[in-house]
Amino acid sequence: MTARRRIGYWMGFSVVLALLIAAPLVLPAFWRSFLTEILIWGLLAMSSDLLIGYTGMVSFGHSAFFGLGIYGAAAALLWTSPPNLWMAFLFGLVAAAAVAAFVAYFSTRLRDIYFAITTLIFSQIFYVIIFTWTELTGGENGLTFRRPALAVPGLFSVPFTSETLHWFVLAVVTLSYLVLRRITRSPFGMVLQSIRENEARTRAIGYPVERYKIVAVMLSGLFAGLAGVLYAIQNRFAAPDFVFFLVSGEVVIFNVMGGIGTLVGPIVGAAFFLLLREGFSRFFTEYYLIPVGLIFIAMVIFMPQGLLGFMRRSLNR
Amino acid sequence: MAARLSIEVPFPADAGREDAALLRTQDLTVRFGGLAALNNVNFEVRRGEIRAIIGPNGAGKSTFFNCLTGVLRPLSGRILFQDEDITGLPSNRISQKGIARSYQITNILPSATTFENVRIAAQSRRHGWSLLTHHRAYRDIIEKAEAVLEAVGLQGKADEIAANLSHGEQRNLEIAIALATEPQLLCLDEPTAGMSAAETHETMALVRRIAKDLTILIVEHDMQVVMELAHRITVFHYGAILAEGTPAEIQRNPRVLEVYLKT
Repeated sequence: MTARRRIGYWMGFSVVLALLIAAPLVLPAFWRSFLTEILIWGLLAMSSDLLIGYTGMVSFGHSAFFGLGIYGAAAALLWTSPPNLWMAFLFGLVAAAAVAAFVAYFSTRLRDIYFAITTLIFSQIFYVIIFTWTELTGGENGLTFRRPALAVPGLFSVPFTSETLHWFVLAVVTLSYLVLRRITRSPFGMVLQSIRENEARTRAIGYPVERYKIVAVMLSGLFAGLAGVLYAIQNRFAAPDFVFFLVSGEVVIFNVMGGIGTLVGPIVGAAFFLLLREGFSRFFTEYYLIPVGLIFIAMVIFMPQGLLGFMRRSLNR
Repeated sequence: MAARLSIEVPFPADAGREDAALLRTQDLTVRFGGLAALNNVNFEVRRGEIRAIIGPNGAGKSTFFNCLTGVLRPLSGRILFQDEDITGLPSNRISQKGIARSYQITNILPSATTFENVRIAAQSRRHGWSLLTHHRAYRDIIEKAEAVLEAVGLQGKADEIAANLSHGEQRNLEIAIALATEPQLLCLDEPTAGMSAAETHETMALVRRIAKDLTILIVEHDMQVVMELAHRITVFHYGAILAEGTPAEIQRNPRVLEVYLKT
């Protein structure tokens, strides 16, 4: 990256970050929490971009990692009294990482569509387990719990307001973005992109491709679990629907709409999709998916590189 | 066959040892259905040698390379590299042992730059699992990649997207990628295929230069290239070794002449 582009990038980054920091001060309550939710879905989409965009593996299993993040956080928040924020992170991340390790170990032996189908099946297995194990998970009704306070043990403890929750989520998502961005540019990340470009050649020059894929799925699952923990904290309930494969499908749609292999794109895609759905559901009630679907099809045909790729090209023109 | 080796390469560790083969195969056999692509091949190459493998189409040359580099698992037989059995290892393990390969059909990262193609290969020896440091921070890898690019004469094309290189340049990039993995044995599968006369000449000079530090197996159709480059030649025919010797011996060998005149 040239110096000018780097300055341009960090200026853009700062402006967007400043807008997101200022947003809760001007937005009404509904849109405030809507924006927070967009950030959380954006983090989930970004985590899956590490696989789709950088490694060339389309995962339909991200609902499992996300859902286990939610249920892990739920377990911690129900068992600790008063509910402890950091235990929620610990439980959620451990649960998501464990599931990701399991899924990664088996699914990375397969490629392309077989990988996608395997991740989908695994996430459905977890859905069925959560749906039927009523004593532990509340089954169909899910779990409700209280929101933890924003606390550092021994220092301070304040309850979350919708503003502080937004800033907290923003901080976690921004930090995750910077870490993921660094990972994609690390030697490890370059190997992932080499696998995407030419898997056989990457193996031939000496990389144990399967091991790299396993670590990629685990990292991706970890960040998806992080999104799940944030979602649990914001919405104070866990439901089997979040583990259902439709969520995974939406995550893939966020990626395609926003532009894969960009990290920022999936967040843009999540924002665009959620706004579309919100808008259309007000006018078209239960038929809202028809216009959303038509727009998605049009986007795939006319801007296959997603919103971000499209914006980039029109800026360069 | 008189002399076992046309040139003597001084190699202290092997001095005085009769059995100084870098690579040996014992009764290597590969079958595709009923067809024996390789049939009890006993092959040996010494350290420092440039060995050409020739033979008509379908003689088993590429199959042989695929076995050596772990792409194909032989039905039976053994492959010994530095006296270590490497039969059936996956290609990444074989690469780490020190065998590299360039491909008959160009096999690169098309949308990465020339430099990145070589850098990622150099990185396969160290730092591959580093997660939180920018890849540009590893000067040793950068310098290695730059040195290799210079060795093959592609330093001026470092920032070019590999897919945009000319055919000849892509063929040399193939060699650069293989070299960047610091191999002891380099298998070149038709490195001059489709090249112009001038490009062929340059690539031959390149192979001769890099042969100073490593052992080379080269599959080649261009007889002029083979005769000028190789210390010794092995002729494959129907999956078996038909003859082996110095270029002069091979040129006089009646069985070789017969095979080549027939096809």
